[in-house]
Amino acid sequence: MENQSAFNSVLDGLDIETYLVCRDAMEGKHLALQLGKEMNLGDVDIMYEEYDGYGMRVRLRKYIVKPGQTYPWLK
Amino acid sequence: MKQLSQQSKHILCVPLDPVHDVGIKLINAELQKHGHRTELLSPDLPLEAIVKKAMTTNYDFILVSRTLGYGVAELLARFVDQMDAAGVRDHSKIVIGGKAVSPELAAELGFDKGFDEHASYDSILAYIEGTSGMVEDETRRKVKKNITAGHSYVFHHTEIESLLERIAEKTLRWSDGVSTPGIKRSRLRQGMLKETDKFRFGALQKQYRELCDTEIVDANSEHRFPKGVRFISEMEQTQLSSLLTSHIPKHQGTIQYDRRQPLVFKFLGSGCPMMDIVHGKICERWGIDGFLVINPSWEARYEGLLEGMLTHENDGTITSLENIQLMKRWLDPATLLTIRAHRGLNTAETTLLAGEGGADLTKINLVYGSLGAGTDPERLTADGIESIKIAGQYNMAFDIPGNDELSGVPAWKTLAGLLINVMLGKKLGAKAILKPLFCCGPHIVLNGQMQLNYVDYNAAKILALKEIVDCPVWPGEPIAFMTQTEDRVQSANATSYHAALAASLGVDAITIASTDEAYSRGPICIASRIDSIRAVTDAFRFMGNANITPTPAMLDWKENLIRQITETLRAVALADHLPDAINKGLLGNAADGAYPGTFGKGTVTRNPLQ
Repeated sequence: MENQSAFNSVLDGLDIETYLVCRDAMEGKHLALQLGKEMNLGDVDIMYEEYDGYGMRVRLRKYIVKPGQTYPWLK
Repeated sequence: MKQLSQQSKHILCVPLDPVHDVGIKLINAELQKHGHRTELLSPDLPLEAIVKKAMTTNYDFILVSRTLGYGVAELLARFVDQMDAAGVRDHSKIVIGGKAVSPELAAELGFDKGFDEHASYDSILAYIEGTSGMVEDETRRKVKKNITAGHSYVFHHTEIESLLERIAEKTLRWSDGVSTPGIKRSRLRQGMLKETDKFRFGALQKQYRELCDTEIVDANSEHRFPKGVRFISEMEQTQLSSLLTSHIPKHQGTIQYDRRQPLVFKFLGSGCPMMDIVHGKICERWGIDGFLVINPSWEARYEGLLEGMLTHENDGTITSLENIQLMKRWLDPATLLTIRAHRGLNTAETTLLAGEGGADLTKINLVYGSLGAGTDPERLTADGIESIKIAGQYNMAFDIPGNDELSGVPAWKTLAGLLINVMLGKKLGAKAILKPLFCCGPHIVLNGQMQLNYVDYNAAKILALKEIVDCPVWPGEPIAFMTQTEDRVQSANATSYHAALAASLGVDAITIASTDEAYSRGPICIASRIDSIRAVTDAFRFMGNANITPTPAMLDWKENLIRQITETLRAVALADHLPDAINKGLLGNAADGAYPGTFGKGTVTRNPLQ
């Protein structure tokens, strides 16, 4: 268990929901993608974003494993 | 099955928690209701006072409630020690209940039994009354529901009934003696499934393959599969078995709060049956009643079906017999499984495989399958009639999705189409389930019927159908479609409001989306499935036995719908048969946004002797 990555236990995807303070929607999207990289998730999908004037509410998704692939949690 | 003890027990109820004593109060009331003598102490008494009280009487049980937190385990251990020292345990069993309490922890702390916050009153009563095993088994075991039970399929609207009779008779007369490659394959497959002789099987298989597209023959004979398709290995099957047998949930969730609330279904169709099964098992734990398996869209365009236990890296799970059997093997026996059959060129054979694989239901709509999914109306009508017959032979009901409304077809034309399928089912020996769209459809938006609220027009559709025929109604597909966004909370809310309305209208079942359904660029994730199940569970708890009351506008719309359905059916009854009516646009035309499909056009043949 000690050497096992928690990512191997993620059944399918990982969602991140947060609020990013930003000047406009463009900057918000850029920050959202950057956040994924800074969290070592690589490229993340922006599932949902809504800029409200102060910042952007976002829902990001990273698929750890997709259907049809080899599932680490099955081993 | 629960057997009450003849002898009432004497029980001391102890709220050890200074704040949260509601649980023990409720249990106290429940025990009294069942004839037990109880005494409820006030919260926040010192341990010494509780022990002193416990020593005064030979209680059968001392029930302690306490939420576990920092330092609480030590307090509880001290409590048990003091009870021991005072000799209370010589005559009383000491039981703990509360958040984060597990049977293992209770035993570790020295209690006779522990119940966590999910424990049912029945399980606590069973323990007190000494019938523990029987009740626990009963609560863990779900009972499979029959959606069609209790419906007579009697039409209450005489003109609509007589129009449907005429349409069905014309259509069945047209179909008499027609055949298609799909019907032939289905009959050959039926023979192959029964055949035990290797040589005769080979002969049937050869004929079957002659009726298939090259891509399917290559895949089945040489394993040259479409991109992203592969066999599930034996190792993966063993690992799946190991995962599922080593994880047994302690609690079975239930979505319905009131017995009259509808069954709740979800889609499966990730592409991989193993992923579907794991998602399915988790959803079962959260209380889901059934699944609809959605196949890949390309499967509809090929003549012939892939064989074997196959996984697929894209949307839609291949509905081979082996895949259906795998899903059926692992899903709970009480879980209802529906296999979509009505799309494309393999409708009859898919229904056959669904029946052979042990599915409970199948999905057939001759109109929507011809308009919204691209199959030629003549081909789908011929194959669909064969499918309905097969569904009847396997005692499978078939649901009729009204998703052609999503193309812009007005609700009354879609509902007229659903009713034609019901009548065909009646004539061919299979029970139909009406599945009207339950959301903000394009035609409704254009006509402003949901400008003031989402309640009236949805209610009008359901109540119009109920007024026409006594047939099960299962709105979908999914409910709240088009009103959901990729925002998780908004999506869960939209689903739960629609679920509450559907329950109010007394429907038999609903299909719900996940909170990532509106996100089209990737597969559904399990956390999003649980989101919407939780939302509906809460909505059902909130509504209980109460109802949402539509405004008076609903009644006008309902009457209008019945009139418009009748007018539509009058026009269809004048056509030669159902495919003729579909081709003429009587059940949805180009102006509505619906076009008759072309897959399989020209493949319907007629026996010249007919």
